[in-house]
Amino acid sequence: MTPPKSSTTENRKQKTENTSARPRALVLYGYGLNCDYETAFALNQAGAEAIRVHTTELLDNPAAIWNYHLLAVPGGFSWGDEHGAGVILALRLKLALGTALQEFIDSGRLVIGICNGFQVLVNLGLLPGLAGRPGERLAALIPNDCGNFRDAWVHLAVTPSHCVFTQGLDHLELPIRHGEGKFFAAPEVLAEIKDKGQIALKYATAEGAEAAGHFPANPNGSLLDIAGVTDATGRVLGLMPHPEAHVTSFQHPTWTREKEAWRRRGQPYPGQEGAGLAIFRNAVKYIEGIL
Amino acid sequence: MAVRLEVGWRPELTDAEGEGVRRQAREYFGLELHQVRVVRVLMLDLDLPPGELEAVRTEIFTHPTTQISGFRPLAQAFDFDWAVWVGFKPGVRDNAGAVAREAIEAFLGRPLAPAAAVYTSKLFLFGGDHLDGDQMAMVARELLANDMIQQARVYSREQWDHENGIGIILPRVQLAHTPEVAVFDISSLESLRELSRQRHLALRDADLPIIRDYFRRPEVVARRAEVGLGPPTDVELEYLAQARSDHCNHNTFRGLFHYRDITNGEHLVVDNLFKTCIEAPTREIAWKKPWVVSVLWDNAGVGRFDDESSYVIKGETHNSPSNLEAYGGSLTGIVGVYRDPMGTGKGARLIGGIYGFCVGPRDYAGPWRPRLHPRRLLDGVIAGVKDGGNKSGVPTIGGTLYFDEGYLGKCLVFVGAVGLLPKEVGGAPADKKAAYPGDLIIVCGGRVGKDGIHGVTASSEVASPGTPAGHVQIGDPYTQKNMLDFLLEARDQGLINFITDCGGGGLSSAVGESAMMAGGGEIDLSRVPLKYQGLDPWEIWISESQERMVVAVGPENEDLFKNLARKHAVEATVIGAYTDRGVLKVQHQGRTCAYMDFSLLDEEFPPWEFDCEWLAPAGRLSEPVLGDPTDHQELLRTMLARPNICAREWITRQYDHEVQGASILKPLVGREAQVPGDAAVIRPRPESPRGLALSLALNPAYSQIDTYHMAAVTIDEAVRRLLAVGGDLSHIGGVDNFCWPDVAYHPEANPDGKYKAAQLVRACWALRDLCLAYEIPLLSGKDSMYVDGLLPGAFGEIHRVSALPTLFFTAVSVMPELRRAMTMEWKNAGDFIYLVGETRPDLGGSEFYELMGYVGLSVPEARPEDFLPYYRLIEQAGREELLASCHGVYRGGLAVHLALASMAAGLGIEADLSGVAKGSPDYAALYAESAGRFLVSVDPAHRSRFEDLFKKQPLILIGEVRPDNTLKIKRQDRNLVEISLEQLRIAWQRRFGNLI
Repeated sequence: MTPPKSSTTENRKQKTENTSARPRALVLYGYGLNCDYETAFALNQAGAEAIRVHTTELLDNPAAIWNYHLLAVPGGFSWGDEHGAGVILALRLKLALGTALQEFIDSGRLVIGICNGFQVLVNLGLLPGLAGRPGERLAALIPNDCGNFRDAWVHLAVTPSHCVFTQGLDHLELPIRHGEGKFFAAPEVLAEIKDKGQIALKYATAEGAEAAGHFPANPNGSLLDIAGVTDATGRVLGLMPHPEAHVTSFQHPTWTREKEAWRRRGQPYPGQEGAGLAIFRNAVKYIEGIL
Repeated sequence: MAVRLEVGWRPELTDAEGEGVRRQAREYFGLELHQVRVVRVLMLDLDLPPGELEAVRTEIFTHPTTQISGFRPLAQAFDFDWAVWVGFKPGVRDNAGAVAREAIEAFLGRPLAPAAAVYTSKLFLFGGDHLDGDQMAMVARELLANDMIQQARVYSREQWDHENGIGIILPRVQLAHTPEVAVFDISSLESLRELSRQRHLALRDADLPIIRDYFRRPEVVARRAEVGLGPPTDVELEYLAQARSDHCNHNTFRGLFHYRDITNGEHLVVDNLFKTCIEAPTREIAWKKPWVVSVLWDNAGVGRFDDESSYVIKGETHNSPSNLEAYGGSLTGIVGVYRDPMGTGKGARLIGGIYGFCVGPRDYAGPWRPRLHPRRLLDGVIAGVKDGGNKSGVPTIGGTLYFDEGYLGKCLVFVGAVGLLPKEVGGAPADKKAAYPGDLIIVCGGRVGKDGIHGVTASSEVASPGTPAGHVQIGDPYTQKNMLDFLLEARDQGLINFITDCGGGGLSSAVGESAMMAGGGEIDLSRVPLKYQGLDPWEIWISESQERMVVAVGPENEDLFKNLARKHAVEATVIGAYTDRGVLKVQHQGRTCAYMDFSLLDEEFPPWEFDCEWLAPAGRLSEPVLGDPTDHQELLRTMLARPNICAREWITRQYDHEVQGASILKPLVGREAQVPGDAAVIRPRPESPRGLALSLALNPAYSQIDTYHMAAVTIDEAVRRLLAVGGDLSHIGGVDNFCWPDVAYHPEANPDGKYKAAQLVRACWALRDLCLAYEIPLLSGKDSMYVDGLLPGAFGEIHRVSALPTLFFTAVSVMPELRRAMTMEWKNAGDFIYLVGETRPDLGGSEFYELMGYVGLSVPEARPEDFLPYYRLIEQAGREELLASCHGVYRGGLAVHLALASMAAGLGIEADLSGVAKGSPDYAALYAESAGRFLVSVDPAHRSRFEDLFKKQPLILIGEVRPDNTLKIKRQDRNLVEISLEQLRIAWQRRFGNLI
């Protein structure tokens, strides 16, 4: 029961000192996280300067966080997902960083948690981050109703919200790859998340209709088809699907079909930007706007 | 005092794990349960004041909105009739327990006492009508717990102790044993033979005089006396046994084969299959192929990927352990094979994993009683590779599954790994490595326990009820992932001079082999970190405890290396140093317990010898007399539902095939239905347009006729799979994995051993011939012999069951432009469909004959000299983007593969097969499995260019893609099939469609 280290907030910087022209993003890795390379790649593609930082280094030197504009907790199996996905990493971050993460958000910076990262953010209580209830663990990502890990592409409907990551987006296709992705919260918490526009992404059918809880469009049984949520500020996004795994169209499962369509129009297939990149672009644009 | 913490989902929440058990109980035993709930149990074997315990409970182990927990039994919160507790036996790796201990330390901010431990287990609560104790015991034994590694207790509601529940159960390892070194009198060969038998050393009689004579040599005796040693110690003999085992030394493949063809009386002697069929052709091809970077010496082979990097590939099998403990065996297998690329050159980053499972029929209801029913075994091996792959962050990019009753004796679990190696590390070539005298020997990763002792020698024996089960382990992907992250950073900082995996044979093999390369080594076994005390030195020496690598580090880099290890929470321990003294010296607590010069391992041990008798297929088999079916529609549906043809999407989806973001062609392709693609394509470097294509093939059914053609067709299939996705014919690397029944003849125990030996020789000949023809260097490979089992039958009698001789062949190719990748499904209505390659009535060993109950004689054959000219044209057509789709025709034949391409596209076809297999029955056109064939679809605009290109080749226009949803096939003006894609899909998916 070590009290949160006070050093974390002592070196607090209201503004990140920028050594380069690009927004700086911290991508956490180590202890079983495993989407760090591609998450850093996606952020770099979007115009950020992403730096992979080992979890030990952040735990040993929490003040390092103030050197970044964005914190990304990527996918993976931190601590092997033992005792609940994301539970142990959240515990370690909470012990070392205390309230610094909330202060990081309050200072106008951004946080994205993808898959295991989302599980970490709910266990830290940063999400759903209802107004007036910071740090409370009000939601959980529990085992998929189908009872197993699942890798599949899903259709996502973007709910109009104040979330900075999803601005201007309407619909996107991304892969999900998880065993514990069912979003769960008590009815009154769900109602508030919904009412306050904190549902950022919902599972949908290919035609764009509501998944309405039906497998496989809703792959895990998430309540209200929730695939991603934002907090009260809109500067935190947690989502189960992997935007970093769709940054070019070559990653899409049926791209060869598109290629053939281009060819028949007499054009070589250009290889386009993938839908997931927009989420990172939005983050970069937002940070550039406030710099 | 130890306490028991129980954690469960709130009663109003679905318990997905419990639901899974409920489904399995219904499927396995037809048992209808109302409800299954799972309570996680943590036995906290540590002394904490109540306040801290309570904080540990609420702050670490209980989620406030979804979970309930307590130090008193939770079972009462649920309505249950029976409870089954399942926990590990002492000494079995408990990953959750280790993480819990670490989390508690972090939370408290202080280290726990060394003896403090957390043991995790599960309590399953069952609700149902009229359940009895026998049923529950069966559920415990045949579904929940494997007595190899787990213990179970069954409680009825009446027996349940509401106060104490299951009580406190602490599977502590307690070895009241003082480590000692045994010395053996080997004056007589008989005593040595007896020693080998007692200690499961599996030494061959012919090796014994050489071992004895070595220890009697005057200079050896004198040198040993200087370090206080006389006759050999157990450390030394165990080391020799490991080094001499078939597993490590490949004695079978290096053996002397007396091959006799009974049909024509021909006799020839084959000296060393490895040298003649693998090494020699590979050297010859590698010489011609500048892209071959490193073959035949390291843990895995290396091929050039681009100017800055290489790929590393390796295939392994993990049959024996998986056969005993399916989950633990396959998990250990996949996690283990990842260490091979990591231990190649100065260490490669993992970029892909593959799997292949061969098991008995999932619905087997025959008289044999394997230890694990194939259904349970398959569920277990699938889950092992799932956790191993997913938790390692390595995409599982491809795999295969094959059912046959022969695998009831022993299952096959093939696992493969691909890595990416930079061309240079710190200015030196990354594919080269060398330990120098003076370098420290550092062991990294997991700790050593009694697990895995005699794994190598046990897999060199036939499975029988007496096989020691000590080699069953549970892999720990979390610990290994930390280690691999760490080693990659150490590599990039130039700290690694040499690295190798600590796998089969444990330290004895890893240190022994690297010390031999360095010129000598000295290690102190008492410095090796142990899981628990009480291990004898020989056990530390050969234990195969997982997740370890041995690294040579210059003494000047010791601190840097150790600091980096700390950052990654990895244990790295200096256990000795390399020397130039020509001997391997092993010490324990200040005493020398092994002192051996490497010359002993280079001694001329006599080769194993095998008699082979080959009876040509015509002397054993004949073609069936079979008229054409009248109901081709139902026949096609039945073929699509066959276990070896039908959809297995449930397996593929459990595997993360997209982590690292490199997936370009996924294991399943198509828009409407998700159908297995020909090969996987990944993009290891996101900034580069190059791709790596990887295919996998196996065709054990043809072994019933001729293993030469089994191997040849399998290699041809792997090549075609690569070409179908756009692979480059000038760059194909191969990985051969042989799984074979025992080939040593014994009049009672293995009366057909001579035939099996001949089968092995013939398969190796095919390997040699096809690799030379297609110019495929064998980048790595593995042989697993003894794929046999002794199974009790209906009346308690014992049967020896041997698997079909099986070759897994993996092929890899580099694609300069991944945008040229092709998939197998039709793209547009109106496109023409062509069959490339000749169809002959090759139905021997086919899926169709198998359905009809025949083996037949006319086995498919690979004819590279005929195939290669048009394989080059397929490549060219792909480059010119003339092919809208491209797909090889494999098991099941043309009709099956037309159906797959249509289902995937969601587009019908009209096909006329009059020109296919002319003069043969309709079933031959539809279901013959002739090798060398492709199905392609072509935009009408490209028709003339395409036909022009193939004008001298076996090309038949067989039809057209239709905008509707109907598959129509006719032949000689007779409508054979007219069926909706929906009906096909239902037939193809129904068998395993309810599995997730």
